[in-house]
Amino acid sequence: MEVTRRKFTKIGCKVILGAAAVSAIIESVVTNGTAAENSPAGEYDWNEHFWGYVVDTRKCIGCGRCANACKLENDVPFDEPVYRTWVERYRTKRDGEVVIDSPNGSINGFPEDIPPEEVKKAFYVPKICNHCDNPPCVQVCPVGATFATKDGVVLVDYQYCIGCRYCIQGCPYGARYFNTEKGTADKCTWCYHRITKGLLPACVQACPTGARKFGDLKDPDSIVNKILDEERINVLKLDLGTKPKVYYIGLDREVR
Amino acid sequence: MQPHLKKAFTLLALVIIAFIFVRSLVVPSSFGQYGWYRGDSLGDIRNFPVEYAGSTSCGEENCHKNIYSVWIKDRHKTVNCETCHGPSEKHVNNIREMPEPANDSRDYCGLCHFKRVARPTTFPQIDPDVHGENMRCTYCHNPHKPWFI
Repeated sequence: MEVTRRKFTKIGCKVILGAAAVSAIIESVVTNGTAAENSPAGEYDWNEHFWGYVVDTRKCIGCGRCANACKLENDVPFDEPVYRTWVERYRTKRDGEVVIDSPNGSINGFPEDIPPEEVKKAFYVPKICNHCDNPPCVQVCPVGATFATKDGVVLVDYQYCIGCRYCIQGCPYGARYFNTEKGTADKCTWCYHRITKGLLPACVQACPTGARKFGDLKDPDSIVNKILDEERINVLKLDLGTKPKVYYIGLDREVR
Repeated sequence: MQPHLKKAFTLLALVIIAFIFVRSLVVPSSFGQYGWYRGDSLGDIRNFPVEYAGSTSCGEENCHKNIYSVWIKDRHKTVNCETCHGPSEKHVNNIREMPEPANDSRDYCGLCHFKRVARPTTFPQIDPDVHGENMRCTYCHNPHKPWFI
């Protein structure tokens, strides 16, 4: 068979393009399939941990040191009304009305703006991202800029986020906010930069009464597992099926 | 193969190849490494600077050992150094970098100790209108050893 120059070039082009396409497809399939087992480089191995958080609402005194420490640790715009964690105050008045507020996320404390005689029942509830096992915010992200890590923390990729705010709408706990300095969505990371170095999240460390506890759910001796075994615990909005990993002790039915 | 099918298949192959080529340029190399996200972002987030060094870093190395040994034995041992003194990681790394002095105003102590209806009743609280005649709390109380003087 005689091969003309034209035919030779044609066949050659087809072979090169075909080989390139096949190798690209194989590579993408292989990397997606295997790499999920590995841990990112470094001493910390995320296969050995699965983090959990406990809030004891009975111990919270509403001092707001957690919200303050969080803003300073994580470079959250300090003078803007955005918070990664905050404390809510619930007050049931004698006439049955429930007043819920969180002035400046609790950072400046809670002024007594209703006369104490009129209040029948009152308590504080610290709030934070629940780092759901089935996170609605991750589902709605159109670009894959927010994700759940293998050790159970929901994070935002600040370089990849396009700032569309779908996740802020999607979070049923109001735990996300828009960071105007970064131009991206932002949220609690459970201080991922601290916990991967063996430190506690800033809010847990700052709490003077031990109302906030953080630990490893994979470690049977961790403080969180001990509390889960001994106390009567609840989570926020259980019926949504988001599987939150922030567990509450002493959660009142008024708390949403 | 019929020539019109051949043309269509060639076009399809070209479109697929162009898609793969553009995708390889646009999608970051670490995307999909661990899941449907950029794997390198984990490293970015883990490398954020730590601000709060923790109370043990104040007590070790003989720096503030005396005040640490007083504090660790008393009722305020649950209140970490940096809760009042502010973040200190910069100071730990470079002692010339001084943190701001602790806020010893009446209102700051009051964040925890002023009487509030929502606080647990077992928690020690004072009525600022009748207690202490508007003086600084530290005039009578040592914050590191909080019982009277």
